[in-house]
Amino acid sequence: MSDKIKILIVDDEIKFLDTIARRLEMRGLEVAKAADGQNAVRIAREQKFDLALLDLKMPGLDGRQVLEILKREHKFIEVIVLTGHGSLESAVECTRLGAFGYLPKPYELDQLLEVLKEAYQARLHKKFEADQEKTARIAQLAMGSSPLSILREMRKLDDGEK
Amino acid sequence: MEQANPQGSLETPSEKYYRELLRKNLLRLILTYLLPLILLTLYFCLLYNAVSRESRRLHLRTIAEHQSNFLDLFLQERIINLANLIDDPKLPFPITSSAMAGLLDRLVKSSNTFIDVGFFDSTGIQKAYAGPLPHLENKNYSHETWFIALQAGKDDHIITDVYLGLRQKPHFTIAVRRILEGRYAVLRATLDPQKFYEYINSLQVSNEVNLAIISRTGVFQVGPPPMDPPFEPAALVPPLDPRIGEITLPRSMGSVSYAYAWLHTADWAVTVRWVHQHTTWPFFGSILSLIIISIALIMIVLSIIIFRSKKLVQLQIEREIATMQFEHAAKLASVGELSAGIAHEINNPLAIISEEVGLMKDLMSPEFNMQPTFSELVPHLDNIKEAVFRCRDITRKLLTFVRKNDIKLQPYDINTLLDQVLDGLLIRELATSNIEIVKNYGSDLPPIITDANQITQVFLNILNNAADAITPPGKIAVSTFCLNGTIRIAISDTGKGITREEMGRIFMPFYTTKEVGKGTGLGLSVSYSIIKSLGGKIEIESIPGKGSIFTVALPIKFAEGE
Repeated sequence: MSDKIKILIVDDEIKFLDTIARRLEMRGLEVAKAADGQNAVRIAREQKFDLALLDLKMPGLDGRQVLEILKREHKFIEVIVLTGHGSLESAVECTRLGAFGYLPKPYELDQLLEVLKEAYQARLHKKFEADQEKTARIAQLAMGSSPLSILREMRKLDDGEK
Repeated sequence: MEQANPQGSLETPSEKYYRELLRKNLLRLILTYLLPLILLTLYFCLLYNAVSRESRRLHLRTIAEHQSNFLDLFLQERIINLANLIDDPKLPFPITSSAMAGLLDRLVKSSNTFIDVGFFDSTGIQKAYAGPLPHLENKNYSHETWFIALQAGKDDHIITDVYLGLRQKPHFTIAVRRILEGRYAVLRATLDPQKFYEYINSLQVSNEVNLAIISRTGVFQVGPPPMDPPFEPAALVPPLDPRIGEITLPRSMGSVSYAYAWLHTADWAVTVRWVHQHTTWPFFGSILSLIIISIALIMIVLSIIIFRSKKLVQLQIEREIATMQFEHAAKLASVGELSAGIAHEINNPLAIISEEVGLMKDLMSPEFNMQPTFSELVPHLDNIKEAVFRCRDITRKLLTFVRKNDIKLQPYDINTLLDQVLDGLLIRELATSNIEIVKNYGSDLPPIITDANQITQVFLNILNNAADAITPPGKIAVSTFCLNGTIRIAISDTGKGITREEMGRIFMPFYTTKEVGKGTGLGLSVSYSIIKSLGGKIEIESIPGKGSIFTVALPIKFAEGE
């Protein structure tokens, strides 16, 4: 596992995408770019990402749909929505759909970094909470009688992440 | 051409339209309901008139026939009266004047039309006489027409026409001849035509007719004074064949219709005519009531029709108002949509600018120690510039979207305008992109009053979209034609078409299916509002995968101006 934070940026504004990617790379993040929703979902399946920056208005699969898919397919990914639309309603909806944060364009990079930091923090918290739950569960399971059924239950706990 | 106020000219066509609608509606309803009713009424009136005319004609004919029979009977009775006298075996012969008084007495007892009675021998001398004119005794009648005719005729009696004779008073003669004791003898009585006429009138069943008697020579014998006095020549002599019939006087004499019947006993014809001859509508009363009922019916139907069409137009107006209110609401909604759209469309390039500036700052900052060359910075500066111009494009189009003040309305030939758009802007671009342009311009199109800049922008937008929709090679066809009082400009392409979902949002501001930066989503919404303000509409037909047809319809009425 690389020591870099992996982030996926999804935006149909190629110039914006390139610039923000480059700036984050310069700051030591590992960045993948997707110019539309389909690509974003595909790339996310190929590589694992810690965080994602997502534009809402895109041709084809739009931001909301991508957000839903990412949150469904990747348990610990945190998504930050970036959009020029800037209305409160879309912010509320995105949060409901599981976005960690919402940043209206244009923004200061420091703001973005702040949100990224908080998002990553949240991700870790969730991960560790889940781990704790699992540890407790393992202890519980160990009390059982049949080794085989214990094995099966334990397999269920393992989310398959190698 | 003068400049027209677009607001003012927008009002009038709609008012005109409603008036026209009301007028057309009324006309249509009147044609469907009233016209058949009127025609039917007229038809029945004519039919009724014809039937009543015919029945009156037959009635008149019957009266004439009856009267002639009565008169025949009367005259035969008078002949028999005379014959009875002369054939009386008790009568002394030759008859003496003293006996004559008794004879006259017997005659007058059977009919008061008898004036006097006389006895003649073969010489024509009135041998004996009884009556009011005793001086006629011994007068010579041998040259009198009736005496000669009686002598020469095959009948043993004669009835003359009315004449003045020796006494110079109108009278007519009934005479019978006999051979008594080997000698020629004539008994002759004169009758008073006036009394005769009174008798005829006393027989008359109907007082609606005037009755007259005309001789074969066409002279009135008796008639109602003063219209048909005796000895006046009749306007028309009834023909001898048929013996009973009708005649109508020529128009110059008043088109009066008579029925006539020839007598058997005398050379007379009875003529009858209606007293009220000149009513072309017989039984006027019933016709009048028919007309009144018809008019009442027509009035009722007419008022229903007027009420209905007014209501129809009222409904139409209400619907229009509802539509207008809906449009207003839609406009307000689109203002909301607009501001959200503007925010998004402007925030995106602003984000690019902000990021590019940030990146350049990063590049030049000692923190990263990049030490960029000028050429490394140029693309970023260009990106900033491009983003700025994107913002400018949006604000410029927004102005067109909102601004409607400096419109210059002038008459233009639509084909010329289209040519300008195609030649000036598009053909050069399209020639290189393998898109064929086909023009199907209609000839004799009326000029259209419009703002050249605005309408050019509409065509440009639609043509641009058409070109963008096509994956070359393809074809764009531009046709112009007149249809139902509108000039139509149809622009069809062989492009990718429009889906149902896209169709629903096609005129929404900032809705675009084009790539970012290529379309602002304002073209069609601007076009829509321009065409709307010109009183026209944009119709879209599309088959996804096959192509689309955008049809701009502009009202000709509006084009002709006020």
